[in-house]
Amino acid sequence: MSNPPKPALECRDVTVKFGDVTALSDVAVSFAPGQIHAVVGQNGAGKTTFARVAAGLVQPTAGAVDVMGEEIRTGHVSQSRAAGVELVHQSFALPPSFTVAETMEFGATGKGGIYSRKSLAEKWQSHLAGLDVQVDLNRRIRDLPIETQQGIEIARALVMDARVLILDEPTAVLSPSSIDMLFARVRRLKERGVTVILILHKIREVLGIADTVTVLRGGRKVEGPLPIAEVSAERLANLIVGDAIAKTLDRHERDALVGTKSPVGEGAGHLENAKGPSVLSMKAVSTRPDSEGTALDSVDLDIRPGEIVGIAGVEGNGQKTLVRAISALADLASGSIRLAGNDVTGEPLAARRAIGLRIIPFERNVEGLSLTSSLWQNWSARELLQGRLLRLIRPSAVREACDRSLKDWSVHYHNSAQKAGSLSGGNAQKVILAREVDREARLIIAAQPTRGLDIGATAFVWQALRQARDRGAAILLISSDLDELFDISDRVVVMLSGQVNGEFRAPFDIASVGAAMTDAAARTSA
Amino acid sequence: MNEIIIAILRSGTPLIYVTLAGVIAQRAGVWNLGLEGLMIIGACATIVGIMLTNSILAAILIAIVICVLASILLWFVIDRLKANPIIAGLGLTGLGIGGTALAVQSIFGSQASVTAPFGIPKLGPAFGAYGVLSISVAAMPFVVFGMWVLLRRTRFGLRLAACGEHPFAARSVGANPSRMRLVALSIGGVLCAIGGAELAAGSLQFFAQGMTAGRGFMAFAAVIFGASHPVGATFAALFFAVVGALGIRAQLMFGDKIPHDLLQALPYLATVFGVWLSGKLRGGTKAASSFAELKDQ
Repeated sequence: MSNPPKPALECRDVTVKFGDVTALSDVAVSFAPGQIHAVVGQNGAGKTTFARVAAGLVQPTAGAVDVMGEEIRTGHVSQSRAAGVELVHQSFALPPSFTVAETMEFGATGKGGIYSRKSLAEKWQSHLAGLDVQVDLNRRIRDLPIETQQGIEIARALVMDARVLILDEPTAVLSPSSIDMLFARVRRLKERGVTVILILHKIREVLGIADTVTVLRGGRKVEGPLPIAEVSAERLANLIVGDAIAKTLDRHERDALVGTKSPVGEGAGHLENAKGPSVLSMKAVSTRPDSEGTALDSVDLDIRPGEIVGIAGVEGNGQKTLVRAISALADLASGSIRLAGNDVTGEPLAARRAIGLRIIPFERNVEGLSLTSSLWQNWSARELLQGRLLRLIRPSAVREACDRSLKDWSVHYHNSAQKAGSLSGGNAQKVILAREVDREARLIIAAQPTRGLDIGATAFVWQALRQARDRGAAILLISSDLDELFDISDRVVVMLSGQVNGEFRAPFDIASVGAAMTDAAARTSA
Repeated sequence: MNEIIIAILRSGTPLIYVTLAGVIAQRAGVWNLGLEGLMIIGACATIVGIMLTNSILAAILIAIVICVLASILLWFVIDRLKANPIIAGLGLTGLGIGGTALAVQSIFGSQASVTAPFGIPKLGPAFGAYGVLSISVAAMPFVVFGMWVLLRRTRFGLRLAACGEHPFAARSVGANPSRMRLVALSIGGVLCAIGGAELAAGSLQFFAQGMTAGRGFMAFAAVIFGASHPVGATFAALFFAVVGALGIRAQLMFGDKIPHDLLQALPYLATVFGVWLSGKLRGGTKAASSFAELKDQ
């Protein structure tokens, strides 16, 4: 090429350090204008950091960013936006109490002035219509479904004349049909001349939409941008995982991790192991509405020993309330819950834990661990909260037991007095596993247990859940990653608007599970 | 009837100015418990200013400058030194109450109160019975309206609210939450100075130690009661003033039957009731209590 067009976005040897941690090192990459580029890598590869550097939210330690051939001042959102770079966040950055029109206006620049509610809605009506976002502009963000919120976040990013639009893992929270709609929207943006950079971690999705692909691993650029025609799923998988780790994973695990699988998941298919009376038995459970999430509406759920039941659903359809209901943290309006044959409907969490309920919670760093407490305090919390109030505790004995347990779970740590906050995500999750997955566990709730973990840690968590299952524990797995659910669940239950909207057995058909995630009419029972 | 309305406006106006200061801070994500301190600093600086400069305009300007500086100090402690905003606000309140007492004693000797020769100009006879009210009472509805426009009808107001509600979202569109908090607290400083000036030099013409007597906290309660909305919070403050005025009325009428202290406590009881009611109606307040931004990844 004698006279190539100027790249839409170019990073020159960008390095980002957060304290001692290097999130990106010497990343040099340039994206041609008018195309759809995918950036892939596993959790912790530096994808989000890369996006935030481009958007000006993160100041790189070294390196420069060019937009359309012009160098921009890094670390200033307003500079990046003025150059035409916009970022759509993975968990959307929209103030929940704002109306749709207010959300558009607060991100706009240029002439503002005093508005009225009516003039504001009129001002942004055509903008949203032009992007095919169908929504009442006076509705509040918090009342909108997640797919609509994403449309609004994209529209928010395009209120100015965006030339480079970066979407950070836009598919992670969507149902399969919503992903198709998103991709259609992205293609239309490409036709309008917008350069789109999609951060993804599923190879299937990359091959379906992108013109080029760039692979990050461990904060470094491994390859790219490669024209999509020149890469196979196989090669991409190896690039993402790295040859060394690729050898240690079996085919199943790797397929689930990078999403190369065909649209039909084989599933774990261990149903023959599941026998005996239910460990968990929920009958027509409805919860009182509260501000913390979608209430459950007459949910029936049974899990037998030796069974992994996956809960699929678009986020915010009652999965969190389900966990809170089982762990006595949500008020029941009606229905009953039995644990291992005992009616625990009115029992507090402590009593339920005594029966064998264990929880790997959604928020590892908020609900799962006290980051400012030591490892041994975190590890022993379960047991210490269980016994009598005035029991004497010998810290040295607890610490010894803790050391043994953490070694068994191959946690990497210095000593058990160190703060839980000093561990990496994978090691922190292993501490929770060491506490929650014990021999007495009858029902283990694993809520998004692999979110944010790298591939090695993810495989470790799956292994732990499978072993617990094989010992006869019942496992309730909640995940927004269908590949993960299909790979290790024996059964998948779909939740929609606080109700059970279908139950599926292996082999799982991604299309019908996806339909049940979004469409109440698709209610089925297998 | 006129007397009651005048009494309500007299006691309500200082409260409303300070409430507006609380509203703008709250929307920016700061629980400003320094209102009480800022108000008493405003009151003291106005009276001392009149004594020193012999000009009401200069006195109020002095009060504004000092209150804005005190607000910037609060911002610095909270935002830059990362102190707990509640503790820092209470600290400012303590500083205001103690500092004004110290200032009065060191300037005027050991006096519990200082009387100024004049106060804020009155509306005058053209307004009939209401002529006894100060011009800052008359300005109050316009200030409320102005704050409503600023906070609810401009992009500045939206960005300010975004900084309080979702700082990361605000940062994502290029706003600087730290600077927004500084602006919000500074505007609040101006309003507290005017509120304090009205308290000490509106209908009265003197400063006494501890004369705010919890009005700053009552203003904060009005912010919560009024859901951080400028107009809602104004009505909440007005409600407290009405209860207070009725309390005084009741003292005159039933002072011999009902303990005097109980009637004096009415505005404070109303405050507790108001906060309880707002919690009931809105399911508790969820305003940001800290500046914890969403961490990267």
